[in-house]
Amino acid sequence: MHHILALPILFPILAGAVMLILRPAGRRHRNLFLMASVLLTTAFSLTGILLSYRLGGDALTCVLVSFSTWLSISLKIDGLSMVYGTIVAVLWPLITVYSILYMEHEGQENRFFGFWLISFGVVNGIAFSQDFLSMYFFYELMTLSTLPLVMHAMDEKAQYAGRKYLVYSISGASFAFIGIVFLLNYSSSLDFTYGGILDAAKTVGAENTLLVVFICAFFGFGVKAAIFPFHGWLPDASVAPTPVSALLHAVAVVKAGAFAVARLIYYGFGADFLRGTYAQTVVMTATIVTIIYGSARALRTPHLKRRLAFSTVSNLSYILFSLTLMTPGGLAGGLTHMVYHAVIKITLFACAGAIIVKAGREYVYELEGMGSRMPVVFGAFTVSSLALIGLPPLGGFAGKWMIAEAAVDTGESLAYLGIAALILSTLLTTLYLMTVIVRGYFPVGQLDMEALETIHDPGRMMTVPLALLTALGVVLALCSNTIIHFLQMVSLGIV
Amino acid sequence: MRPFVENFPFFCIFLAIVGGILSAALRRGRIAWGLTLGICAADFFLSAAVLAYTFINQLSFTYTMGRFQAPFGNAIQAGPWQALMAMVFSSVMGLSLLGGARDLFRDVEPSRQPMYFTMADMVLASLLSLTYTTDVFTGYVFIEISTIAACALVMAKDTGTNLIATLRYLFMSLLGSSMFLLGLVILNSVTGHLLMSPLAESVARLAETGKYEIPLTVALGLMTAGLGVKSAMFPFHMWLPDAHGGATAASSAILSGLVLKGYIALLIVLMVRVFSLELLMEIGITNILLAAGLMGMVMGSLAAMREHHIKRMLAYSSVAQIGYIFMGLGLGTTAGLAASCFHILVHACCKPLLFLCAGRLSAVSAHHHSLKNLRGSAYRDVVAGVGFTVGALSMIGIPLFGGFVSKLYFATASLHTGRMAAVLLVIALSTLLNALYYVPAVLSIWGIAPEELKAEVREHTADEERAVDRLFIAAAAALIIGVVVLGILYHPVMDVLNLGLSLLK
Amino acid sequence: MLLILPILIPVIGGIFVFRQKNEQIRNRMVLCIAGVTAALAVLLCLLPEQTVELMTIQGALRLSLQNDGLAKFFMALVALIWLPVAVFSFPYLKHAGGERKFLSIYTMTQGILMGLAMARNFITMYMFFEMMSMLTMPLVLHNGTPAARRAGFQYLGYSVFGAGMALAGFFVLAYYEALPDFVAGGILNPILASQHRELLLAVWFLMVVGFGAKAGMMPMQSWLPAAHPVAPAPASAVLSGVITKGGVLAIIRVTYYMFGPKFLAGSWAQKALICLALCTVFVGSMLALREQQFKKRLAYSTVSQVSYVLFGLLLLTADGVKGALLQMVFHALAKDTLFLAAGAIILSTNFSRVDQLRGIGRRMPVTTWCFTLAALSLIGIPPMSGFVSKWYLASAALESSISWVGAAGVAVLILSALLTAGYLLPIVADGFFPGADFIAEIKEVGRGMTVPMLIFAVLAMALGIFPGLLLRPVEALCGLIF
Repeated sequence: MHHILALPILFPILAGAVMLILRPAGRRHRNLFLMASVLLTTAFSLTGILLSYRLGGDALTCVLVSFSTWLSISLKIDGLSMVYGTIVAVLWPLITVYSILYMEHEGQENRFFGFWLISFGVVNGIAFSQDFLSMYFFYELMTLSTLPLVMHAMDEKAQYAGRKYLVYSISGASFAFIGIVFLLNYSSSLDFTYGGILDAAKTVGAENTLLVVFICAFFGFGVKAAIFPFHGWLPDASVAPTPVSALLHAVAVVKAGAFAVARLIYYGFGADFLRGTYAQTVVMTATIVTIIYGSARALRTPHLKRRLAFSTVSNLSYILFSLTLMTPGGLAGGLTHMVYHAVIKITLFACAGAIIVKAGREYVYELEGMGSRMPVVFGAFTVSSLALIGLPPLGGFAGKWMIAEAAVDTGESLAYLGIAALILSTLLTTLYLMTVIVRGYFPVGQLDMEALETIHDPGRMMTVPLALLTALGVVLALCSNTIIHFLQMVSLGIV
Repeated sequence: MRPFVENFPFFCIFLAIVGGILSAALRRGRIAWGLTLGICAADFFLSAAVLAYTFINQLSFTYTMGRFQAPFGNAIQAGPWQALMAMVFSSVMGLSLLGGARDLFRDVEPSRQPMYFTMADMVLASLLSLTYTTDVFTGYVFIEISTIAACALVMAKDTGTNLIATLRYLFMSLLGSSMFLLGLVILNSVTGHLLMSPLAESVARLAETGKYEIPLTVALGLMTAGLGVKSAMFPFHMWLPDAHGGATAASSAILSGLVLKGYIALLIVLMVRVFSLELLMEIGITNILLAAGLMGMVMGSLAAMREHHIKRMLAYSSVAQIGYIFMGLGLGTTAGLAASCFHILVHACCKPLLFLCAGRLSAVSAHHHSLKNLRGSAYRDVVAGVGFTVGALSMIGIPLFGGFVSKLYFATASLHTGRMAAVLLVIALSTLLNALYYVPAVLSIWGIAPEELKAEVREHTADEERAVDRLFIAAAAALIIGVVVLGILYHPVMDVLNLGLSLLK
Repeated sequence: MLLILPILIPVIGGIFVFRQKNEQIRNRMVLCIAGVTAALAVLLCLLPEQTVELMTIQGALRLSLQNDGLAKFFMALVALIWLPVAVFSFPYLKHAGGERKFLSIYTMTQGILMGLAMARNFITMYMFFEMMSMLTMPLVLHNGTPAARRAGFQYLGYSVFGAGMALAGFFVLAYYEALPDFVAGGILNPILASQHRELLLAVWFLMVVGFGAKAGMMPMQSWLPAAHPVAPAPASAVLSGVITKGGVLAIIRVTYYMFGPKFLAGSWAQKALICLALCTVFVGSMLALREQQFKKRLAYSTVSQVSYVLFGLLLLTADGVKGALLQMVFHALAKDTLFLAAGAIILSTNFSRVDQLRGIGRRMPVTTWCFTLAALSLIGIPPMSGFVSKWYLASAALESSISWVGAAGVAVLILSALLTAGYLLPIVADGFFPGADFIAEIKEVGRGMTVPMLIFAVLAMALGIFPGLLLRPVEALCGLIF
C-alpha cells in the first residue's frame, strides 16, 4: 500500500528512460505516450498526497534504498511535501501540453521529452523525501537531469549556459553537502522533523561552528534559489526553450531551492536554534539585497525572457526572506508566495514563449502594437502581470501580505527593512511589467504594419494552457482564504 | 593444530608466483591468460574464505613460513583488513584482464603475450605480499618486483611514447624505492629490527625516550615519502598520465586501480603497526600527507579539466583520487584511515571500470581518443557508455554510488580534527572540479555526433572491433555492480574495515 | 447587491464601448452608462448605509463595500463631473483621435472611482486605488508621443510608489487595529496604540505622504505638471478634478476613519504635514506664476489648490474638515471649467502658451467668460463658491489649537490667493482687452463643448450664493467623525 509513494518518482523516470532508449519516431505516438505518462504521474502524486492528508504522513512511508539502520533513501509526505508536490503535479501537465506545440518549433523532441519526464520524477523525489540524504540525492540528480534540457539547442550560448548552470549547481550542492554532514553528526536522525533535528546534548560548545555551517548550507541550497551573488546562472539559462524556463526555472528547480532552504531552517537546524543569531542576520540581509537587485536588473534588461528571469530572482527572495524570519508566520508567508508566484511566473514565461514562437520577437522594444495582434497572449500577460505587481485580490498580493505580517510580527528592524524592500520591488515590478503591456496596447511611433499583419495568436495547444493557467491563477487568488489557512496549518506543523 | 583456512593467504601468494613462472613457459598467450584468470579467481575465493574466517572469529593470525620463527624466517599476518584487500585486488585484476582482453591481444605482440601475463601474476603476488607482510625488508623486495612488473605492463603496448613514459615511470619509481630503502636502512640501524612487531616496540621506546630523534624522523619521513612518490602523491605524479594514458586498457586499469594501491596498503600497515598514528602526528608527517593530498585533489582535477585525451583525463583523475586517500591518511585518526581504505576499494572498482569502458568506446570509434571525436560513441556500445556514466557519477559523488559514501566518511572523519574547514572546503571544491570534466565527457559520449564524424568512424572501425565483446560486458557488469554495492551496502564493508584496522596492530 | 452595480456597470460597459465601432451609437452608450451610474450614485446617496462583502483574502482581511457618508459625498462629486466632461470629450476627441480607447477607459474609470468611494476597509481602498492608477495611465498616454509615454510612466511610478508607502504603513498598522473596517473616528486599539505612539505617528506620516503623491502634495508632486500638458483636455479635467481627490479621499479615510483625530491631534507628524501642505500651496502658486505653458500653469495651480484641501484636513478639527470638503467640490468645479476652457482654446487656436492668448476673449467669448468665472472662484472672490470654502479654511486655521498654524495658514492662504490672481487674471485681462489694434473674428467652439463649461461655471457661482445646499450634508458628515 505504501509503495504507492514510489510511483510518482520511479514511473516517470522509467517512462523517460524508455523514451530515450526507444525513441518513438511518430509524433502522435510520442505525444500520446508523453501526455499519458505525465497525467499518470500527476494522478499518482495527487493520490499519494490525498492519502497522506487523510491517513497522516506516517502511514505511507516508503524506503527505496536502505544503506544502514539510520541512513536510507526514503519517502514520506508531510505538510510541506503536500504544498510543493501539488504545485508541481498541477502545473506539469499544463506546461507539457504547451510544450508539445512549442517543441515542434525547436526539434529533437525525443531527447527533450525523455529528460523532461525524468526530471518530473526527480522533482517529485525532492518533494516527497523523508530526510536530508534522500533530498540531497534527488537534488544532485535534478541538476544532472535538467542539464540536457537547458543545453537543448546545443549552440554556443546553450553550452555556455549549461556549463554555468552545472558549475553553480554542483558548487551549491557541495556546500549543502557540508551542511548535511554536520546535521548527520549532531543529530540522532536525518529525518525531517518539524522544529529541527539537532540534538541539544551534542551541540553544546559547537554552536558557532553550526551557525557557520548553516550559512554555508543556506547559500549552497540558495544557489538553486538564485540568491545574490549566486544568481548568475538563471538569466543565462533563459536561452533554454521556453517550457524549460517556464516550468523548471520558474517553478520546479528554483522552488526546489526554496523548498530545500525551508527544510534546512524549519525541519533541520530548527528555527528556534537560528532565530536571533548573526546567521539569521547574514542570510536575511542577503535575501533583502537580492529582492532589490533582481527587480532593478529586470528593469534594465531589454530581453523579455531575461527580464522575467531577473524577476524570478527577485520574487524567490521574497520567499527566502520570509523563510529567514524563522517563525511559523514566516514559513506560511513563504509558502503562500511560493504557490502564487509559481502559477503567475509560469504564465508569464509561457506568454513570452508564445511571442517568440509566433513573432520571433525577443526584446521588449520590439513589442510595439502587438497587443491587438495577440489578444489571448497579451491578455494572459496583463492579468498575470497585475497579479505579480500585487493588485488585490490577485495572487501576488496575498503572498506579500502574509510575508509583511510575519515580518511585522518579529519586530526586528531588519525585517522592516525587508518590507521596505518589498514595496520598492513592487514599484520596480510595476515599471518593468507595465512597460511591456503599455508597448503592446498603446504603441508609440511608426508601426511596421506589414510585419504586424502576419502575427497571430498561437494554436489552441498553446492558448488553451495559457488561458487555463491564467484562470487557475485567478481562481486560486479568489480562494486565498482557504489556501492560506491550509498553509498556516502546515507552517505550524499540524498537517 | 592450525585451521586449514589459515594456510590460504600463503596459498594465494604461492599460486600467483607459480602462475607467473608457468606463464613464462607457455607459448600461447590465450592459455596464459586463462591461467592467470584462474589464479585470480582462486585467490579471490581463498581470500573470501579467510575474510569470513577472520571476521566471524574477530581475529587476525600470524603465519610463519617454513617453520622458522621470527626474526629469522618470514611471516605474514592475516586479518579481516588484509583479506578484504586481497579479495578486491584479485577480483579487480581478474576483471581487468577479462574486460581488456580484446585490446590486449590486439596491442601486445603474440610472442610477448605469455610474458605479459607473467608480469600480471607478479603484480598480483606483490600486491598480496605487500598486504600480508610483517617484515619490512620483504616489503621492499616486493615493492621492487611490483615496480618492474608494472613497467613491463606499461611497455607491453609497443609505441615510442610508451617507451619514454616507461622510462620516466622507472626513474620516479626507483627514486621512491631508493628513498624507502634509505629510510629502511636508517630505521634498522637505529632499532636493529626488520620484523614489524619488534620494530613497533623499538620505535615506541625511542619516541618515548627521545633518543635518536633526528634519525628516527628522517627514517620515517623517507619511508613515507618513498611510498608516496611511488603511489603518485602530489607533486610526484607527473609520470602517471603518460604511463597510464598510453597503455592498453587492461594495463591502465591494473596500474591505476591496483598497483598504486599496493604501496598505499603497505604505507597503511606501516602507519598503524610500526609507526603509530600518534607519533606520526607528533612529528608532523601527517600534515605533509594531508597537504599533499589536498593539493593533489585540486591540481589533479584542474589538470584533468585541460585534457582532451580521454585516458589521460582519467589518469589525472586518478591523481586526484589518490589525493583523497592521502588526505584521509593525513587526518591522523582511525576514522580517516578507515575512510581512506574504503576509498581504495571504491577507486579500485571505479577506475578500472572507467578505463575499460574508455578503451571500448575508443575501439568502436576508430581508436579516436579525444572527447570531440568520441561523440556519440556510447550508442555504439551501450554497456561501455553506461559503465562510463556509472563510474563518472561515482567519481563526482552522487549518492547511491561508492564515491558518495567515501566523501561522506571523509567529511565525517574530519569533523573532530582541527583540519575540518580545509578538508570540507577542498572536498566541496573537488566535487565541483570533478563534475566539470566528467559531465562534459558523459555528455559527449551520449551526444549526437555530426554526420562526417559518424561516416569517418564507420569507415575506419574494423568489424571485429565493432562486434559485441562479451567478456567486456561481463567484466563491466561486475564492476558496475561493485560500485553500486559499495554505494548502497557499504555498512558491512565499513564494519569489516574498522574491525580489520583495529586488529592490524 | 445594489452597491456593486455602480462599479460593475461602467466597467463592463466600458468593454462594450470599446467594441462599438459606430461613433453615434458609441457616444450614446457612453452617455447612457455615465447617466445610469450617476443615477445609481444618487440613489445610493439617498438610501441608508448598507454593506456588501466581496471576498475574504485571508483571515480578517476582506474586500467589502459600504455606502457611508463620505462614500456618498465622493460618489456624488464623481457623478456630477463625469457626465458633462464626457459630453465635452466627444467633439474634442473627434479632433484628437483614438476615441474608442479613450472613451472605454474613461467609462471604466468612473466605476473604479465609485468603488474607491465605497471601500469599506483599507485593502479594498488600496485595490481600487491601484486599479485607478493603472486605468488612468492610458488616459495620460493617449496622444501616443514619446513625451506622453514618459509622463504616463512617471504618473504610474509616483502613484504606485505612493500607494506602496501607504501599504507598508498598513502592514504595520494592522496589528494595532481594533476593528478591521473604516469607522468614523478611528479604529485603533487605544491601549496598544498609546504604547507605540511614535511608531504609529511615523506610520501615519508615511501613509499621508504616500497617498499625498496622488493629491499632488510635495515631495511627490512632479508627475502632475508632467502629465497635464501631454494629456488630452478631458483627461486633464478629470485628473485634476477628480482623480487627485481620490488621493484626498484616501487621506481622509486614513486620518479620520483609521487613526482618528484624537490620536493624531497636536503631534509632530501633524505639524510636519501641515508645513508640507502649506509649502505646497505656496510653491505651487509660485511655479504657476512663472510657467508660460498654459496647461502646465493650470497643473501647478492644481498642485497648489488641492493642498488647500489637505491643509484643511490636517487641522484635525470639524471646521477644518468642513472647509476641506467644500474646497474639494468647489475646486473640482472651477478647475474643470478652466481645463475645459483651455482645451477648447487649444483645440480652436492651437495656442498652447499663455502669452499667445491675447484677445482670446474677443475670439471665443463664451469660453473666456466661463474661464473668468472659474478663475474668480479659484482666487476666492465672492460671490463665487471658492470664496466660501477659503473662508471656512481660514477661520478653521485661526481656531486651531496649534499656535502658529493660524497666522501661518491665513498668511499663506492670502498670499496664494494673490498669486492665483497673478497667474489667472492676466489671461482674462489680455483676453478681453487686447489693445486697440487687435482684430478678431468670433470663432467659438460648438455647443457640445461650451455647454459643459457653462454648467460647471454656473454651478460654481450658484453654490457660492447658496452654499447651504452643500453645507448641510458636509456638517452631518463632520458630526459623525468628531
